[in-house]
Amino acid sequence: MALFSVSKTAFLLAFLSLRTYQSEVLSEPLPWAPESLKVSVNTTSQSLHLQWTVHNLAHHQEFRMVFQIEISRIKTSNVIWVENYTTTVKWNQVLHWSWESKLPLECAKHFIRMRSAVDAAKTPGPRVWSSWSSWEEADVQNSLGQDLLFVFPKDKLVEEGSNVTICYVSKSHQNNISCYLEGVRMQGEQLDPNVSVFNLNHVAFIRETGTNIYCKPGQGDGIKGTVLFVSKVLQEPKDFSCETQDLMTLNCTWDPGSDTGLLKQLSQSYTLFESFSGKKILCKHKSWCLWQVAPESQDMYNFTLTAENYLRKRSVHLLFHLTHRVHPMAPFNVLFKNVNATSATMTWKVHAIGKYYTLLCQVELYGEGKVTQHNVSVKVDGVHLFSGLEPDTEYLAQVRCANGDHFWKWSEWTHQNFTTVEAAPSEAPDVWRNVKIVQGRCVVTLFWKPLSKLQAHGKILFYNIVIEYLDRTSGSEVLSIPAPASGTELPLNQCSSQIRITASNSVGTSPASVLVVSREPGNEEVEEERVKGTEDGFPLSWNPQPRHVTGYLVEWCEQPRDPPCDLQWKNLGPNVTSTVVSSDAFRPGVRYNFRIYGISTERVPCLLARKTGYSQELAPSDNPQVVMTNLTSHSFTLSWKNYSTESQPSFIQGYHVYLKSKAGRCHSGSEKAVLSDVPCVGWLIVPPPQQITEIISILTYFCSFEEGKVLIKNTTLFSSPAPTLIRILLPTVFCILLIMITCYLKSQWMKEKCYPDIPDPYKSSVLSLIKSKENPHLTIMNIKDCVPDSIEVLNKQEGTRKSFTETESTKPTYLYLLPTEKRYSSPGPCICFENFTYNQAASDSASCGHVPAPPKAPPSQLGLLTSPENLLKALEKNYMNSLGEIPAGETSLNYVSQLASPMSGDMSNLPKNPPEPALCSEYKMQMAIPLGLASPPSSGSSSLSSITLLDEGERYH
Amino acid sequence: SPGAPISPAEPISQAYSLALYMQKNTSALLHTYLQHQGSPFSDPGFSAPELQLSSLPPAAVSFKTWHALDDGERLSHAQGAFLALTQHLQLVGDDQRDLNPGSPILLSQLGAARLRAQGLLGNMAAIMTALGLPIPPEEDTLGVVPFGASAFERKCRGYVVTREYGHWTDRAVRDLALLKAKYPG
Repeated sequence: MALFSVSKTAFLLAFLSLRTYQSEVLSEPLPWAPESLKVSVNTTSQSLHLQWTVHNLAHHQEFRMVFQIEISRIKTSNVIWVENYTTTVKWNQVLHWSWESKLPLECAKHFIRMRSAVDAAKTPGPRVWSSWSSWEEADVQNSLGQDLLFVFPKDKLVEEGSNVTICYVSKSHQNNISCYLEGVRMQGEQLDPNVSVFNLNHVAFIRETGTNIYCKPGQGDGIKGTVLFVSKVLQEPKDFSCETQDLMTLNCTWDPGSDTGLLKQLSQSYTLFESFSGKKILCKHKSWCLWQVAPESQDMYNFTLTAENYLRKRSVHLLFHLTHRVHPMAPFNVLFKNVNATSATMTWKVHAIGKYYTLLCQVELYGEGKVTQHNVSVKVDGVHLFSGLEPDTEYLAQVRCANGDHFWKWSEWTHQNFTTVEAAPSEAPDVWRNVKIVQGRCVVTLFWKPLSKLQAHGKILFYNIVIEYLDRTSGSEVLSIPAPASGTELPLNQCSSQIRITASNSVGTSPASVLVVSREPGNEEVEEERVKGTEDGFPLSWNPQPRHVTGYLVEWCEQPRDPPCDLQWKNLGPNVTSTVVSSDAFRPGVRYNFRIYGISTERVPCLLARKTGYSQELAPSDNPQVVMTNLTSHSFTLSWKNYSTESQPSFIQGYHVYLKSKAGRCHSGSEKAVLSDVPCVGWLIVPPPQQITEIISILTYFCSFEEGKVLIKNTTLFSSPAPTLIRILLPTVFCILLIMITCYLKSQWMKEKCYPDIPDPYKSSVLSLIKSKENPHLTIMNIKDCVPDSIEVLNKQEGTRKSFTETESTKPTYLYLLPTEKRYSSPGPCICFENFTYNQAASDSASCGHVPAPPKAPPSQLGLLTSPENLLKALEKNYMNSLGEIPAGETSLNYVSQLASPMSGDMSNLPKNPPEPALCSEYKMQMAIPLGLASPPSSGSSSLSSITLLDEGERYH
Repeated sequence: SPGAPISPAEPISQAYSLALYMQKNTSALLHTYLQHQGSPFSDPGFSAPELQLSSLPPAAVSFKTWHALDDGERLSHAQGAFLALTQHLQLVGDDQRDLNPGSPILLSQLGAARLRAQGLLGNMAAIMTALGLPIPPEEDTLGVVPFGASAFERKCRGYVVTREYGHWTDRAVRDLALLKAKYPG
């Protein structure tokens, strides 16, 4: 224990002695301690600036020293920054150091102290610091002024996206101060009772004129604020390039990129630095700069372009050889020499580039829609010959040049126009003619087309015409027609002539166009054909000519309705036999006439074909002006002489004539579609002869006639058919007769099959039997001796063929006829049969359909109808009624019997000389013997049955 | 006024007409100015009556005080105010040329307002001459103070100037109407 106490005491003594030694060493001031520390505040840059000296530094003594600097905020114990600043210190040197504060220096007091040490990097062991200097205070708040509220920093310039600290300083001890960024309240933290701090992260660019930040107390003292200038990030210059036009000046250009979006005085600047020469210039413009070249002393250039604003620097570099960046100036003094019809020489000058450089020049020539290009090497003057040019043509020539040794860029173009001189026309004019005879004299009208620019080779001044008469009795005539005439009319002394036409310009005359005129008009008898136009034009074709022709020619008038007619023609080769004529002048509804000529080797045109047609047919524009003449009680004549079919907008195929009954109705064959609301009784299409003069004679009754706007009323008509109608009616009548004969033969056949004739007693086998028995007392009545005595008129329902057992309703009416000679020739008594077969045959004929039934006629006419002539007339009339239907219930005529005995109650209607009834009674009796044959229908009430009509009591004698 | 060399009615009428014309444009000037300054100035209904400039006399005055002034005092106050306004409008124009270089409409309106204020000054001088009143000497009301102002302070300063320009114009119309009634043509 004692030992422990002794050792403890010894340790304490040793420790105390060491501390004493150390304190002695430390208390001794370091020879090179900092002194005279002064702190200043730069509020613009928000930085503290320190300056000091080093104590006891010997003359010419130089040390590398470390200065440790401490910065405290608000109070000395609150150290916010410690930094070692190393530098070389000389005797009597004032040292400087700056520190930029994130917090505006106006917002809080700052305290700064420092100490020093010799840089221990070369001397081993711990660094020995001097003692701290005393705290220096940096307080800007004392100099703020009299206001009660301040906002800091003022007018600060920051880059977009950076972080900024804002504070306010209040002297009024108010706590309810609120601060806003562009109207949005900010949340801050209180630094001390009078100061609040707001940290803004990633500030955004709002406008060029800055962002307002302001604070205002809850009451009074107005608002205070600051403007934060937020800059967009400075961009690196793009497309930096330098070039020279003359090896004297370099023009450097670049794309500065998007603007930093700040006021002009705050925006970036550009500087150009060349490292080989060490020269530096400040560029006046944002995107280009001029650099003076040192002539013949520097070929290589290494440029650094630096964009700089308050916040950032951006640099780009460019290294090049001067002669590789030559962009020559545009050539000048472009001239043309020796310009003739087909060639020209162009000369030009270039701006010299040094003494030893050759330029490559590019020459372009524009003319006649074509471009040609040539390359020419040039030292000072350039020359190029253009050949193969067109006469009288304006050309545009342009030239540009580049450095031929090291191509960099072409110069701008230099343009110049020139025009070649005229030459004689190269082609004969395209000529055509029209020949007419005026007062026995040939007059030829010549037409020619102007030569194209490529053919004329200059301005055509005259057209020369030479007329040579072929019979050589007259001399030649020479005419000169000034341009721009396109034709002339020439009276010829004689028709047979040859005409030569040439065109002249100021230089010469074209080849001649030759036409031969003859008195004969050519093959004018060629029949005109129709041609149908299409959208593409009129397709025309013709037969190739066996004779040798030099070509074909199609002529037509583009304005056929106008007197000048605008004659057009088209030349075609000898092997062509079809073409399509098209023109913008063709209009729908206009008839165009085309003539196709073959041109012989003697230049004589021969008409081959005539075509006419419409590009598009239209409906007729007007109706004929119809005149009605020769009006009689039963006919009239319509005529429309002045209706021109040529002027119609389509080919006239016929004329519709509508006949309308005043109170009538349309027949089924009428043109309902055309005149659906007009009751009409007939219509016909009249084919179009070239000149329709008269037509129409129609057998009918009608009250009015209507065709378009033509209306004829109260016309009483006629009965004599005109020739046209006869042509229609005769075949009709023939057909009707043929049908009647057919029907008759059919009825005969039916009769033979179903109802054979009454057996001839003379041919009967019974007779032979009787004769064999030699009974000479038996006699047979000759039927030819029977006298017809009446015609029966039946009221019959059409279409209902009734059997003999259903004839109760048929009420016979008898019309008594005069007996024929034959019928009266046999005075002997006989028995008459009613001939039902004949009755049936009549009924059949009525239902044939092909034979129209006669119309209902007054009873007084019925007698006439029995004759064939009257029947024919009735049929014709029915035909004119357009096959009218047979009226139901129409009266039919039946020939009932040759010898019906007048035993009915109508005895008073009998003719005055009736046949003797006794004969009939005998015949009836005879037929009664063979019961199977003579038995009549059992229907005793049938009024048609002659048996029931006979009074048996009176007949049987 | 006895001893007046010429009738004051004509210059009073001319000054009155000019003041009326100026009155029509003052609100437009203030509106244009505020719209170019950003928030809070451009916010709807912005008003900061507490903002004042020591170098610019306020136009607000109690009616009793104003009514108690005689013609000379009234004209003298207006003369001094418009003299200060012309100098302040020049200053504001320069400020805005820096802060809003791309706003020719604002700059032209500020320039026009300054010229009209100078015109009214001339008319008032004519009235005072006609009334035989002494014309106050021109003073440099601005001094050297304003040049260190921050951008925000310059915006506030311009607001006060354009606002007071309107207030003083309103007051001048009242002043001149009173004079016009007193010195009818």
